[in-house]
Amino acid sequence: MNLTAIIPSVGLEPLLRQCLSCLAVSAERAGVASVRAIVVDNASLLPYDLHRLGSDLSVEIVRFDRPRSFAQACNQGAARVAGGDVLFLNNDVLLNPRALTDVLSARDELGADITGARLVYPDGTIQHCGVLFDGGERGPYHVWHRQSSDLVARGHRRFQSVTGAFLLMENALFTRLGGFDERYPFAYEDVDFCLRAGGLGAVIACAQGVDSLHFQGSSRTERAYALERVSRELFFARWRGRFTIDGTEDDPV
Amino acid sequence: MIVYVLPGVGIYGGIKVGFRFVDALRALRIPAVVATPGGAAPRWFSSSAPVVAQESLLPALSGADTVLFSLPHDHERLRATGARMMFHCQGTDPLIDPVISDSAVTVLTCWEQARRYVHEKTGRASLDVGISVGDAFFGRYGSRVSGSITYMSRRGRTDVMAQMSLPAGTSVRAVDGEPECSVAEIMSATDVFVAVAENEWFGLPALEAMAAGCIVVSVPTVGGGFLRDGDNCIVVEPSLLGSRIQELLESPALGARLRRSGVVTAQAHRSSVQRDLLRHLLASQQLVFGP
Repeated sequence: MNLTAIIPSVGLEPLLRQCLSCLAVSAERAGVASVRAIVVDNASLLPYDLHRLGSDLSVEIVRFDRPRSFAQACNQGAARVAGGDVLFLNNDVLLNPRALTDVLSARDELGADITGARLVYPDGTIQHCGVLFDGGERGPYHVWHRQSSDLVARGHRRFQSVTGAFLLMENALFTRLGGFDERYPFAYEDVDFCLRAGGLGAVIACAQGVDSLHFQGSSRTERAYALERVSRELFFARWRGRFTIDGTEDDPV
Repeated sequence: MIVYVLPGVGIYGGIKVGFRFVDALRALRIPAVVATPGGAAPRWFSSSAPVVAQESLLPALSGADTVLFSLPHDHERLRATGARMMFHCQGTDPLIDPVISDSAVTVLTCWEQARRYVHEKTGRASLDVGISVGDAFFGRYGSRVSGSITYMSRRGRTDVMAQMSLPAGTSVRAVDGEPECSVAEIMSATDVFVAVAENEWFGLPALEAMAAGCIVVSVPTVGGGFLRDGDNCIVVEPSLLGSRIQELLESPALGARLRRSGVVTAQAHRSSVQRDLLRHLLASQQLVFGP
């Protein structure tokens, strides 16, 4: 397996170092033959430096002096990938040592073209274990969000979408779909991508065997929330009435 | 690609059966999608099938692709795509005769009467791919309102119900235009489901009612082979519906027996059963997609 991780990141250098370290351990445990990371420095005040990052992995830094959207940052990183598999990974995700093994097992078991991972908050509650869609105003939502991970079933499962915080697929599929839609300023680009992939017949799944940490929101600003609202409006303008409903409004938010 | 072409997403059994079929295929790693006008997705039942717009997808199809369809009117326009065609036979109107006679079309049937119809008309063997009831209908065996009756007005003659003489205390509720989860909820609180549509081919609502634990009283149908009078339901001519329902309500033991037997009948149509059937058909290469 030839894996390239794309990690968009702004500041939070100690967290990024830990993210890279966990990726290296998880890849080694999974027996990934070749792994490298492309860190997309999305206008950090102090630009990242390979020496300071000090990773065991082969790391390349792509630097933007002005901030780009998550979609643009990911697409720019992915433009440097020639083939193999690509993993989109948030800088605040610390992979479980067995995470990649688990994800590859789910991919094989379910024949998945796109595979996500179970992510938990530091308190052990679910941040992500798949995305369902309800027919009301909520639209796509993280199933079992904020429920104790210990109480949520461990069987790998198919979904219409998984989070972009951890998204593994063949680079060819990402390229075929033209990457993330850069009109999304922040959030929902991942769901949009998965729905478009589904339209090509792609199978999407989420591995559930182990928990990886996701400090989601640790770097979120008021501006990010405002951009998320814009993304949400764009998503609904495009997809309302065009995704099937596999969740219910009774599910916990 | 494997594409199931549907004419819309309105509240018609054929739409749900099509989506369920695609869901079952996808669960077996067959990467099928549904194509509807404008890419509209249904909002009245649960599914996780991807939906694409027919307008953009159909012109791009070629001989490497497979199209499934259930509406005979789609036959000619889908032939023009050059894709391999599979007809998912959900009714036995003579309109389907040219479709099932087309040797370029693989015919899939969902129930025995349809299989016989295809064979009698064309001499061809169709492939039985089954039909399933949504999981939402099962396991809802809580408290019911005694003497409560539900029927689907859209599917049959409302006058049959209006003219019926029913015992005092009987409540009748028509279900129409409700999402599947609400229908399941209503059925789970209802004593008796009356299937009033005389020209029903299969009668999926009656099977759904059995799954939800209703006692089913049905007028005769064309293809509802699962309806066995006196065993898992009561099958009766429309003119006798009222008197048979009255007898039923006066005989709790009979009702309990029919209810239990109905649930067992419905269990044979669970989505997992249909998936097992499809898994077998795929493994034995009786069901083959692609050119």
